[in-house]
Amino acid sequence: MTAAPYNYSYIFKYIIIGDMGVGKSCLLHQFTEKKFMADCPHTIGVEFGTRIMEVNGQKVKLQIWDTAGQERFRAVTRSYYRGAAGALMVYDITRRSTYNHLSSWLTDARNLTNPNTVIILIGNKADLEAQRDVTYEEAKQFAEENGLLFLEASAKTGENVEEAFLEAAKRIYQNIQDGSLDLNAAESGVQHKPSVPQGGRLNSDTQPAKEGCSC
Amino acid sequence: MEAVVSDVVAPEDLLRFEKKYNSELQKGTLCKDTKFEYAWCLIRSKYTDDIKKGVVILDELVHKGSKDDSRDFLFYLSVANYRLKHYEKALKFIRTLLKNEPGNNQALELEKLIDKALKKDGLVGIAIVSGIGLGVAGLAGLIGLAVSKGSRS
Repeated sequence: MTAAPYNYSYIFKYIIIGDMGVGKSCLLHQFTEKKFMADCPHTIGVEFGTRIMEVNGQKVKLQIWDTAGQERFRAVTRSYYRGAAGALMVYDITRRSTYNHLSSWLTDARNLTNPNTVIILIGNKADLEAQRDVTYEEAKQFAEENGLLFLEASAKTGENVEEAFLEAAKRIYQNIQDGSLDLNAAESGVQHKPSVPQGGRLNSDTQPAKEGCSC
Repeated sequence: MEAVVSDVVAPEDLLRFEKKYNSELQKGTLCKDTKFEYAWCLIRSKYTDDIKKGVVILDELVHKGSKDDSRDFLFYLSVANYRLKHYEKALKFIRTLLKNEPGNNQALELEKLIDKALKKDGLVGIAIVSGIGLGVAGLAGLIGLAVSKGSRS
């Protein structure tokens, strides 16, 4: 047997997009390292992170491309959108301009991904309630009008960070289950990895669910 | 960081930014951003010649760049040299970036990756040298055996 058994059943490709300084890299870092990076410098080009998480009883490996928000990177980072199964579109609840630019980010995301790509809108810095510049209600409405999932989160406190990645993953998984996402399509952003080789041990479906990630 | 340095550009993207670069070059309106975009695609090519071409452009940019954008050029000069297996040069560029931004996580991770590659190269070097050494010793032993056998008969 040449292929090693995978300890996950699926790979989902994610991208994180949004204006500079909204906390995209901090969200990624909080998600993969469970730590908050204070004074995080502007990302150079793109960053990458992975984590295995459990989605509806299945181990899923998330491969996340975190794109730089600075304008000079935007033309090239667009090529990272291709083949994304999920997109986190982030704004900063304390800076209205980052919210106003969402339609431009959404246009890019819609044009450069496939129709099944799950987009979740994230209002970051939810811990800074006193400086709030965008209400929950209006962002929620924007999300609904555009068919996006929506959460407010805080990369600093960790609130809703896990949930943001998980909610998108659940929707992607649901799309696989109901057949609307074609795994054989070149740019579905999902790869299926049979977790146990043929004739191997227990099927992963029958294994008891374990908490947390095994990465 | 491995994923970032081993990421390969899609041929259609490289072509697109090459066209933009050449058209601005012809019109005499070539701007810094276009040069950087093209260079960033070139250094992610699977062809060594493309990567080298990207290095030339980034070198030009880093000499004219402000402190704010030279970090981008230094970072990708380091990535390009890593991909070319010019690890010493890669280290030089990333350390220049780290002098300005000692805590930059991306730069620190890249430095770690280059260090690892350098060590691996070093070990391979030692292995080759000691391999040759063993070979010579073995050969000498065989000759010695033959000579002693010859003298006995």
